[in-house]
Amino acid sequence: MKFASWLRSWEFMLAIVLAVELIVLGIINPAFLNIENLLFSTSDFVHVIIAAIGLTLIIMTGGMDISGVSVMGMASIVCGLSYVAGAPIELAVAIALVVGFAAGSFNGTVVANTDVNPLVITLAMMFLYAGIATGLPTLLDMMGFASMGPGGFEAYQYEGISGLPKHFTWIGTGGIGWIPNPLIITIVLAAAASWLMLGTRFGRYLKLIGVSADVARYTGVPVKRTLIAVYAINGFGAAVAGLVLTAYFTSARSDLGADALLNIITAVVLGGSSIYGGQGSVLGTFLAGLALGYLRQGLLALGITSDVVPVIVGSVLIGTVALKIGMSVLNTKRANRAAYAAERMAVSGNGG
Amino acid sequence: MMKVFKSREFLVLVLLVVLILSVATVNKAVLNPITLINIVNSALFLMLIAMGQMFVVQTRGIDVSVGAIAGISAVIFGFALNAGLPLPVAMLFALLTGLVAGSINAVGVVFVGIPPIIMTLGTLGAYRGFMRVLTGGSWIESIPQSIKSLAVTRFFSVPLMVWAVAALVVVVAVLLARIKAARNFYAVGDNYDGAYLLGINVKATRFAAFALAGLFSGAAAIVFTGQIGFVPMQTGNGLELKAIAAVVLGGVSLMGGTGSIWSAVIGALFLTTVDSMMIFLKVPGSWNNAVAGAVLLAVVVFDYLIRRSVRRRQLAARAAEMRRSEIEAEGAKSMPKSANKTLQPTEASS
Amino acid sequence: MTDQPMSDAPLVALRGIWKVFESVTVLRGVDFDIYPGQVHALLGGNGSGKSTMVKIISGAYQPTAGTIEIGGVPTVLSTPSEAHAHGIYMVPQEPHIFPNLTVMENLTTGLQGDAAEIARRARDIAHDIGLNADFAAPGGELSIANQQLVEIVRGLLRNAKVLILDEPTSSLTRREVASLATQMHNLKSRGIGLLFISHRLNEVLELTDHIKVLRDGGFVLTAPASELTTDMLVEAMLPAGFTPPAATADRQIRRDGEAAVLSVAGLCSQVFRDVSFEVFPGEVVGISGVVGSGRTELAEAIYGIDTDATGAVTIAGVAAPRRTPQICQELGLAYVPEDRHAHGIFLALPCAQTISSSVLSLGRSRFMSEAREVAMAARFVERLRIKLASPLQVARTLSGGNQQKIVLAKTLAPEPRVIILDEPTRGIDARARQDVYRIIRELTADGVGVVVISSEVGEIAEVSDRIMVMKRGRLTELPAGVKGIEQISAATFDANGGVSA
Repeated sequence: MKFASWLRSWEFMLAIVLAVELIVLGIINPAFLNIENLLFSTSDFVHVIIAAIGLTLIIMTGGMDISGVSVMGMASIVCGLSYVAGAPIELAVAIALVVGFAAGSFNGTVVANTDVNPLVITLAMMFLYAGIATGLPTLLDMMGFASMGPGGFEAYQYEGISGLPKHFTWIGTGGIGWIPNPLIITIVLAAAASWLMLGTRFGRYLKLIGVSADVARYTGVPVKRTLIAVYAINGFGAAVAGLVLTAYFTSARSDLGADALLNIITAVVLGGSSIYGGQGSVLGTFLAGLALGYLRQGLLALGITSDVVPVIVGSVLIGTVALKIGMSVLNTKRANRAAYAAERMAVSGNGG
Repeated sequence: MMKVFKSREFLVLVLLVVLILSVATVNKAVLNPITLINIVNSALFLMLIAMGQMFVVQTRGIDVSVGAIAGISAVIFGFALNAGLPLPVAMLFALLTGLVAGSINAVGVVFVGIPPIIMTLGTLGAYRGFMRVLTGGSWIESIPQSIKSLAVTRFFSVPLMVWAVAALVVVVAVLLARIKAARNFYAVGDNYDGAYLLGINVKATRFAAFALAGLFSGAAAIVFTGQIGFVPMQTGNGLELKAIAAVVLGGVSLMGGTGSIWSAVIGALFLTTVDSMMIFLKVPGSWNNAVAGAVLLAVVVFDYLIRRSVRRRQLAARAAEMRRSEIEAEGAKSMPKSANKTLQPTEASS
Repeated sequence: MTDQPMSDAPLVALRGIWKVFESVTVLRGVDFDIYPGQVHALLGGNGSGKSTMVKIISGAYQPTAGTIEIGGVPTVLSTPSEAHAHGIYMVPQEPHIFPNLTVMENLTTGLQGDAAEIARRARDIAHDIGLNADFAAPGGELSIANQQLVEIVRGLLRNAKVLILDEPTSSLTRREVASLATQMHNLKSRGIGLLFISHRLNEVLELTDHIKVLRDGGFVLTAPASELTTDMLVEAMLPAGFTPPAATADRQIRRDGEAAVLSVAGLCSQVFRDVSFEVFPGEVVGISGVVGSGRTELAEAIYGIDTDATGAVTIAGVAAPRRTPQICQELGLAYVPEDRHAHGIFLALPCAQTISSSVLSLGRSRFMSEAREVAMAARFVERLRIKLASPLQVARTLSGGNQQKIVLAKTLAPEPRVIILDEPTRGIDARARQDVYRIIRELTADGVGVVVISSEVGEIAEVSDRIMVMKRGRLTELPAGVKGIEQISAATFDANGGVSA
């Protein structure tokens, strides 16, 4: 029974889609199906999946956070600046993670305490964090920190900060056996988020708030605290994504990940989350992120220009949602018809 | 008249003047008329996009594809000019492109029922990708420079473009005041079910909002291309979010139903002015986004606090009215009880 | 079209209307006629289906089965504007005012045609029905009474022959109600058919010509108003098979030496004043009150939903000056909200998840176990006799009665010391209602203190050991021994203070 219902699940469908996609691309271009190549090419796009995992938890509550793309860049530049300002890389990474967590908590605090649409709040935050990320180098100069380069910290704003230690860049470029480190980090985070969502009280709170924040409040769910926590987790996740990307590119930049928003939201929605809340799956997001990432790789491998990719991603996003809406309308209609027929039968049965 | 002074548009306008004056205490150069005109001139692109966005936000939607629509309209405009079409025809093409792109958003949102953020995020990718496919990823540079001459033409030292957009704003403002259906934007955003029950064609209204957002983005593309004389690939990049910030700043609530064309105009002016003022304050331009974000955040949170206190005051007033009526009714029946405590309505002073 | 007596042809006739929502049947083949120059009353408890019926007449909903005849012709009203075109207009309970448009724009929005002509007509009609307001002022500044008049003008501007007034008096002061009554008379004399919906029985008897009472989706009483009394209406609205309580009335509650499980002292908010009462273990305190009397606001202030109220609340002996639903639950106070769908039950989730939702924050474990959750749900399903296929069935697909039992299970799961039940039997069938009463009695046997808030006087009479009445923000206790439906009705419904007083 359980197995049968799993076969009908959205995640299973995604897994099939992913498999078919890889096979089709492989048939057209056999070089694509090289396992090692397949695994290592994920490093180009896993930052999208990492950011999408946190967003899945937020969308579960019916919320939204588009500032993650700025937090990625902010975490990257904070890490880089801390390092060139003299902090050991471990400390620099810790500072960047704390900054991401704090940024997320701030988002959550404003969302939980006002009735302003989370989209607007995080829109403002997106500007704010992106601005802080680009402005930080000059701020450090103004505050009189001694810089290492001749152009002051400001030079880093345009060039990015390279020369990060090898054992840090190994996180982005190395791997254990055939499995690249970024993918391992993604899988660990996805597993942790999945467990959080399915196995803990906190995860249930997210779902209850998403189904109805009002009912949750009347029931005694700590709505505000939960919201702040989930936005904080998302900020932390975005910071991890930014650091992984920094290590992969071996350079800290304030604009890392800035163009990932469409891909992140598409991964979440394609992964089965409803943006109205209450429904979502980290596994779905993970699989959808892989499917999208490989789609891009595959199209590029086929010689299709990267310009077409966003057209396809956008269409996939719209098509998925339209399909879901159509299916739910049909289901409701069918259920209502059945209920009416049953009642009608009961009444005529009583009468006769 | 009081209404004008109490409006959010006016508040932001006052803030804008205060901002300019306070910067002037540091650097007098700000008050040079040419500086101010240039600020207005550079705000035009954002202003037009924000005007379109205004309709969408007013009807409780959101359109994050307007920047991409401006981009694709600019490309079509450039192609049309390069094909040797006369300027008015090329402009028509640009506007039409915007209208069609906006209508595609409208179909998805209104007839399929896709949430606006999802639909327009999808078309944001699609339009931007399509724009690159059309141009092969390169800039359109060989545009006849006659268009550029339009941008440098000045009357009374004010660029022709500024006059044109100002005229457009006035025309739109008059039309919105005159055309009765324009009120439907407010009505639908303010109270969707109520508007439906009043017999307003809510679907047509929402459709028109998205289509207009596209149309205005097309107009913005014309101004932009005219001003810089070529079409870079980044045309309109990130403008969608700035446009939303501008209208929200200018007083259009994302809960719908408020704001006016002036919200878009003043919001866009404000954001552009903030950018310019940074230069006069010798703050590096890299902080522009941070300031814009902080201003937007402060405005929406402040707006929330005002709305909350107004709502509480209204509730208290109504409760007091009920109580008075009650005391009168009791008084009519029996002697008023001296023990009747007169309670102050519990005002929220926090 | 002026002042004609009951004519043979109804303006609007409903024939065999059915409506099913989310698999729940709300209307079961009802018939209804509206005649010109008559005021028809539609009565019924919350959830009886009356608002659904009204929405079908006004084109907002489409019936699942049945026909609507207008002037004898079967007609499909697929949108409100089609209903307007056929002369039907509904004045909603909450007037749809656009606060940022002017009053004149509020009146004319949605109308086609020459603006000047429409504005002139709007002024004339507004003058006729006594809407005195600055037409250029923003709609947000209108008083509630004038907002209602704006809706009536909107209807008349659309040449409405049928006006539906949905609970028009629930938020009006007495003086405003009297003025509305005059306007209704005025409209009636113009040959307009009115459909009046209200919870206030004396208003219904005074203002209307024909009364129909709806219960569980079907009509149970149809009669001219002149032949009816408040008691007859109360009785008709009571559940099927309801017998007036007698034996339960004199249950002896021991309270010597026992401390109150809930004590409220001097609680004040904007809607109620100076409310004080105590609830002892094992007793049922009934609070009778109509919609808008402040009863739900009182419950929400005690339970910490409304945090602006001032006054002292003590739960199971512990003073709780700062309250949130969580704090209340930890201290042993639970609340069953009035609006089941909006505040009580997670419709889209399996029942087991609603039932467990109240104990998540109380349990020590931060981890979920589906097996334990389902086992707990199954215990409640058996104890409360909930009919469902499995605890994993989605709540949306259950009947109203079973949904309410799920909410009760959720409320009982943390084993509260005192429970406030707000309209516990709203919109549920007779058998489920008896089950709810049985559950309440079982709780009191276990020493739980219970507060039942209800607008159904019969329910208050049946379940309560002590009875209090909430009227216009004031809570008063009826003397011990006063348990008759008539006496409670008189205290609750303002029977002596007439509408036109």
